[in-house]
Amino acid sequence: MTLTDTQPLIPIKRAKDEGARLGFRLTLPAQLLVLFIAVFPLLMQLYISLTDWSPLSGASWPQAWQFWNSFANYSEMIADKRLWSALGRTLFIIAICVPIEFLLGLGLATLFVDDFPGKRVAYSILIAPMMVVPAVAGYMFFMLFQSGGPVNDILSWFTLDPVAIAWLSDRHLALVAVMVTDIWQWTPLMFLILLAGLVGVPADQLKAAALLGASPWQRFRTIVIPRMKTIIIIALAIRVIECFKIFDTLFIMTGGGPGVATETISVYIYKVTTNDLIWGYVAAIALAILIVLSIGAVWAMKRLAR
Amino acid sequence: MSAITLQHLVKRFGAFTALKSMDLAIADGEFIALLGPSGCGKSTTMNIIAGMETPSEGRILFGERDMAGVPMGRRGVGFVFQNYAIFTHMSVRRNLDYGLRMTGRPAKEIARRTSAMAELLGLTDLLDRPAQGLSVNILQRLAIGRSAVMEPAIFLLDEPLSNVDAAFRAVMRTELKSLQRQFKQTMVYVTHDQLEAMTMADRIAVMDHGVLQQVGTPLEVYNTPANTFVARFIGSPGMNLFTGTLTTTSAGLAVDLGPLGISPPLALAQAAAAQQAKGAVIYGFRPEEVGLAPPSEPAFDLPLSLTERIGARTILHLGTPQAEVRAVFQSGTAIPEGLLRLAPAPAAVRLFDAGTGTALLVA
Repeated sequence: MTLTDTQPLIPIKRAKDEGARLGFRLTLPAQLLVLFIAVFPLLMQLYISLTDWSPLSGASWPQAWQFWNSFANYSEMIADKRLWSALGRTLFIIAICVPIEFLLGLGLATLFVDDFPGKRVAYSILIAPMMVVPAVAGYMFFMLFQSGGPVNDILSWFTLDPVAIAWLSDRHLALVAVMVTDIWQWTPLMFLILLAGLVGVPADQLKAAALLGASPWQRFRTIVIPRMKTIIIIALAIRVIECFKIFDTLFIMTGGGPGVATETISVYIYKVTTNDLIWGYVAAIALAILIVLSIGAVWAMKRLAR
Repeated sequence: MSAITLQHLVKRFGAFTALKSMDLAIADGEFIALLGPSGCGKSTTMNIIAGMETPSEGRILFGERDMAGVPMGRRGVGFVFQNYAIFTHMSVRRNLDYGLRMTGRPAKEIARRTSAMAELLGLTDLLDRPAQGLSVNILQRLAIGRSAVMEPAIFLLDEPLSNVDAAFRAVMRTELKSLQRQFKQTMVYVTHDQLEAMTMADRIAVMDHGVLQQVGTPLEVYNTPANTFVARFIGSPGMNLFTGTLTTTSAGLAVDLGPLGISPPLALAQAAAAQQAKGAVIYGFRPEEVGLAPPSEPAFDLPLSLTERIGARTILHLGTPQAEVRAVFQSGTAIPEGLLRLAPAPAAVRLFDAGTGTALLVA
């Protein structure tokens, strides 16, 4: 063994750089693939959104430049009343469903913090709706809300008269039916998330607050809610984003109808895509919604987190 | 109004009985320590006093008032949790005035009492700091202050020093004791650490397996343990206890301890007490009360098996594993080699009934 053998062939710092560079080279293909998957559709969408291209135009999408119309799609969007009312309807559904789901979920979660007989069975039943495939849930409620269906039967027990409400063909009631379905299906998710948050509230702090004379409501307001803030924000964010995209249950129940009475953003985009086949316009709408929703979500999360 | 009386208190958790008929009278302004090993029922007793648990049987009186059905927020009890249960999402001030705010006191009163309490506990500079990330001694003071600001008649402390390292515990013991002198409330202090109980409490209630073993001042509990459990539990190391039979020697009544030989003759008081024994007795003496005996006097001849030197004191382990005697000497004492002749001070010998384990005392 000579002295020189103990010295590294490459100085240590350079060896580290070398390692990092080798790592980069090795992961480069995967990184490019990920980048491609994430960015390529967006760029493609941006490109198409600036044209009048449609799959029926005879040209494939890379030739869409032949139908270049600058920002005409975007200015058309501003004047599109059907789009705006679909957006308003979607926001209305969110504004009604998410708070109800939140309050129901929180109430149920509060009940489930303490033990009671049959808790495990009740728990399984309660979270079952979440497991149902949305399309199936839509079909279930489509049948429940038929004019000769169970909902009307149950109502007639209370009114003592036969009830024959045509839920899904009434402009207002169809929206109610759709919202009931959403609440049925997604309250369990709220319940699950909020229960996890409630269980994490330290029992000693609640006892300490009670010993200091705080009433149950005061304990809830000053200890439970502040301790659960992060989880509440996450639960609300998930539901608002999901509810904005509401489609499958609703489409099976009403198809957006009667007329456009239950037409949400997703349903509208679907119709423009498959019926009207104006893909340039669809791309523009989708991109605009993506941008608005992203900005809105980031802003809301930052605000709530304070 | 702040004396506490526990009458025939029983607590069962399903098939397990945590507390078997507890009777205890705590005087107004007294600092009492509930001392015992884990699972002895001391925390259960405390939780029942606080109203966090309801007793299966029995009554709790605060002064003359029966506390049955009074919810925990209305009992006028301050409680310091083992982990302090500080509201870490609030500032120090919000923690300190929490009770006052929740019970709807006027803003002026809240401000006055909070700042007075902060001043007393040296928390004034920290009032607007978040409670998250404060050091343990500040958390402890905050936990005490948060309860004390409500001016409870009774203070309950659940092992408040068990999360603190040994060096700091000594500081906190002094601090707690001086706080109690300032507040002058009735204090019930739960601990498994006899040093805490001995140094702080006016009286100690020793508990084991849900049964109150003895109540007395620290010295009473140390000097005249009511039974073998207390004798062994109090003191570090605990009392040496050996079963034997009474025997008459030329020098008077003594105890035949089998492998250890015959004890030195009993002193008059002990001999009188021994008359109550029906059969076998347990012969006990504190390790601190043992001295080296000159060859002329009766003593135990014991081989030395282990020497523990802990600073000012040296603990000797003598005899055989079946009958081990522990003796404590000052570190300066010259310990001879080979067999040691040791004898307990005659007045320090304690006798217990071998059947029941209760102390045989002179009537």
